[in-house]
Amino acid sequence: MSPQRTDLLRGTLDLLILKALNLEPLHGVGISRRITQITKGAFEVSFGSLFPSLHRMEEKGWVEAEWRASENNRRAKYYRLTAAGRAQLKIEERDWNQVVRIMTAAVESV
Amino acid sequence: MPGGITSLFRNLFRRNAVEQALDDELQSSVELLTEEKMGEGLSRPDARRRALIELGGVEQVRSKVREIQSGRLLEDFAADVRFASRQLRKHAGFTLAVMLTLAIGIGANSTILSWMNATLFDPIPAAVQTERMITIQRGERSDHPSPPLSYDDYVDLRNRATALSGLLAYDDDFMAITGSDKPQRIYGALTTANYFEVLGVKPVLGRSLSDTAVNERTGSAEAVLGYNLWQHRFAGDPAAIGKTIQINRYTYTIVGVAPRGFTGCKSGLRTEIWLPLGMVKHVWNWEPLDDRGASWLNVLGVLRPGVSGQQADKELNLLMQRIANDFPESHRGDNQLSTDRLWRSPFGANVYLASTFMILLALAALLLVLACANMTNLLLVRSVSRRREVAIRLSLGASRWKLFRQFMVENLLIASGACAAALAITSWTARTLASFIPTLTLPLNINGRMDVRVIVATIVVSVLTAVLAGVAPALRISALPPVAVLKDETLGTGSGPQKTRLTSSLVAIQVALSLVLLTCAGLFVRSLEKAQSLDLGFDPDHVYLASFDLSPLNYSSAQAAEFQREVLTRVSALPGVQSATLADFSPLNFSIHGADIVPEGYVPRAHETVNADRGRVTPRYLKTMRTPLVAGREFDFSDTDKSQPVVMVNQALAGRFWPGQDAIGKRIQVDRTKYTVVGVTGNAKYRRIVYHPAPLVLLPLMQRYENQELVLHVRVAGDPVVYAPVIERTIHTLNRDLPLYGVTTLKSSVQMGSIFQRVGMVFAGSFGLLATVLAAVGLYGVIAYTTRQRTHEYGIRMALGASRGDVSGHVLRQGLRLALVGLAGGLAASLILTRFLRGVLFGVATNDGLTLVLVPTALLLIALAACYLPARRASSIEPAETLRSE
Repeated sequence: MSPQRTDLLRGTLDLLILKALNLEPLHGVGISRRITQITKGAFEVSFGSLFPSLHRMEEKGWVEAEWRASENNRRAKYYRLTAAGRAQLKIEERDWNQVVRIMTAAVESV
Repeated sequence: MPGGITSLFRNLFRRNAVEQALDDELQSSVELLTEEKMGEGLSRPDARRRALIELGGVEQVRSKVREIQSGRLLEDFAADVRFASRQLRKHAGFTLAVMLTLAIGIGANSTILSWMNATLFDPIPAAVQTERMITIQRGERSDHPSPPLSYDDYVDLRNRATALSGLLAYDDDFMAITGSDKPQRIYGALTTANYFEVLGVKPVLGRSLSDTAVNERTGSAEAVLGYNLWQHRFAGDPAAIGKTIQINRYTYTIVGVAPRGFTGCKSGLRTEIWLPLGMVKHVWNWEPLDDRGASWLNVLGVLRPGVSGQQADKELNLLMQRIANDFPESHRGDNQLSTDRLWRSPFGANVYLASTFMILLALAALLLVLACANMTNLLLVRSVSRRREVAIRLSLGASRWKLFRQFMVENLLIASGACAAALAITSWTARTLASFIPTLTLPLNINGRMDVRVIVATIVVSVLTAVLAGVAPALRISALPPVAVLKDETLGTGSGPQKTRLTSSLVAIQVALSLVLLTCAGLFVRSLEKAQSLDLGFDPDHVYLASFDLSPLNYSSAQAAEFQREVLTRVSALPGVQSATLADFSPLNFSIHGADIVPEGYVPRAHETVNADRGRVTPRYLKTMRTPLVAGREFDFSDTDKSQPVVMVNQALAGRFWPGQDAIGKRIQVDRTKYTVVGVTGNAKYRRIVYHPAPLVLLPLMQRYENQELVLHVRVAGDPVVYAPVIERTIHTLNRDLPLYGVTTLKSSVQMGSIFQRVGMVFAGSFGLLATVLAAVGLYGVIAYTTRQRTHEYGIRMALGASRGDVSGHVLRQGLRLALVGLAGGLAASLILTRFLRGVLFGVATNDGLTLVLVPTALLLIALAACYLPARRASSIEPAETLRSE
């Protein structure tokens, strides 16, 4: 399956961003690449959706940002999960699993 | 959430730092992406180009992030306002034009609202719960009802009615302050002890009359002064409490002062002193308190919370029916009671004002709708010139919502400018209501007032106007297809037909509305014209009027009669004077009284109240007024208090009660005294011009002297005004101290009788003219616009052989078609809407032929004139030039 730009539901995008940041702090481009990676190339998030989401999450206090040098020694803005962000990730994972269970059951019934 | 608040704070106040951080982040992202691409082997420029493409445009991402940031709404609004005011300033002419038309439309409405505010909505200043108060009238409903109740009936209703939490009664009339060297005529009221408590009015000084409750029937000599009277006669001295004041030669102790602004419970009338009801014997030398048959009290009740007007109505009628059954002798007349809320109560001025204001408000609303249509049209026309701007902004990434928002903010700015202007206008026009009312001897206290209620209403109207008028143009322009517009070189011819259709229908609506307004104006003019040429039953030309009041002078009956006779003799002897007479009223200025009558031999139908207009006049009244004497004789100086009581009746009375009989010699009882009819007069209009002549009795003034205002009527040769000094001198030779007031001519005094048509005409007329100007400008605008759009087409037509006449004819036909559609619609609307004027028009049908022909014709001519300029311009097109310019 070739990577395709998918207009993700906002909730799904939030979950993916939180998930991507769960391992280590990343900058915007890094988050985009990590999402493509963890979705096995299925999703390529557009920056027009990614940056607004990041800023909203920053205002909600789920992520924190700091400027530091990238792996190639460029200055970049790195985002890191806060405690609230980790809690939110738990909630979103649980919600998502619930949706999947319900939807799977619904789709597979007869 | 503190985090949210900090970011709101940061976003609002550290805008630049936030913007900078976002820019940095986006720049660094571009760099990161570029390096990534270069790692895949692309050259730096190629890599950078690919990076930008992947990012999807720095500017777009930036605006998307901005949209979600906290405080964005406020920030956006401020930016929109800044942007909008810059746009409006840039097109100052356009802005002013729209604002002005809107300001006039809104100002007309807020003016009428300010008038209603101070009269209908605030009928008793200083009183509480006026919205739950009702007045009661008895018998056939009328806008000048006589007092409904006797004292005993009133007490029974007060004690038994459960629907009311309070019921007060009063009797009001002119009184005189006597016993000082400053005699003064004031309007006063005799009131029940609960008067101030029921109204919820607390004296600013001293107490109310509630202490008189124990002996309401006998009364006690106490008085509450009006605030103005206290200021003028006692210089606002608190020590006035406990002092005395003499009213009609009887002394009262001042116990209280009413609050400022409180002028009694008859809307629009200024009462200045309140005395206990029981004092009626001293004030009027009359004792009606124990007479169940004497209906002399006006009443006002307060509905208990939760009780509806109908419930009260029902209960009061049940109670009244029971009283009538218990006392059939004193309740022969009509005992049906009906109630009115104060805003339209006939006890006071509101009944007249309510009907007039409804019409004025409707006219003003029409004007506002028209101003809205005008604004919509101007906005539509202007949006054409902004198509390129809008298309460019859309293709640069501005969202349609953002554009729509900006256009709406512009409209709101225009509306707030118009609103401010309208409020400024209203702060002046609110107080002009009084100037419509001619000088009268009535103690009128009517004016408009602008307060918070009016301001809020005006703001609401303004915002609604902006939304209504602006939403269509804003929607239309923010929905433009940018590519099509930018590709379209000629601009403005793109989606032309649809836009012209909306504009055209708006112009047609404007024409229709101005037709409606002008038709109303026309009907009022015709009505006034009819009123002027109408046979009033008397000749209003060449009659001088002046009033005086003998009551403060302590004249005995004999002295007063002598004085009156002397005045008439001396004034009649003046050169140029044809005849002179005295009366206790003058026609058509609301000064005639009513009376209960019992005509001999007439058996009233069940529940029929028999009353008539009642005037007191001296000899030569009919001669002076040029009212025909149909039978019998006029009064002469031998009709005195020693001769038999005599009366003149009008034909309306004779025809109704003694049809086919000779009225002369019949007996008729008027207010408990029996009179013999000696003369029958022609019918004359004394109350209002629009009424059919009511039954009338004229009593001889010299036969029974009463303290009252008298009006001297003098018929002269030439202009009555020039006789004023000599007549005044003559009267002052008889009594140096007698003030003459209300000096005027009968001609101008009777205009009071048609005041409502006059006010209606002024408003409908000026609104109509404004409307016509707006419609003409609108029509011109549309025709000029479409003509300009079709310049090219006309050029081709002419190149192909069309004559200049063909082209200008085409333009004219286009304009005429619009005008005719508007006129047809307006005519239909007029026929329906003018029905509501029926009540205030006199002698004209609402489908008056002349008006319905003249007004549309005039409008058609104006429409032609409006189309003439564009037509001429079209015919002067040089085909070669227009084609070359392509």
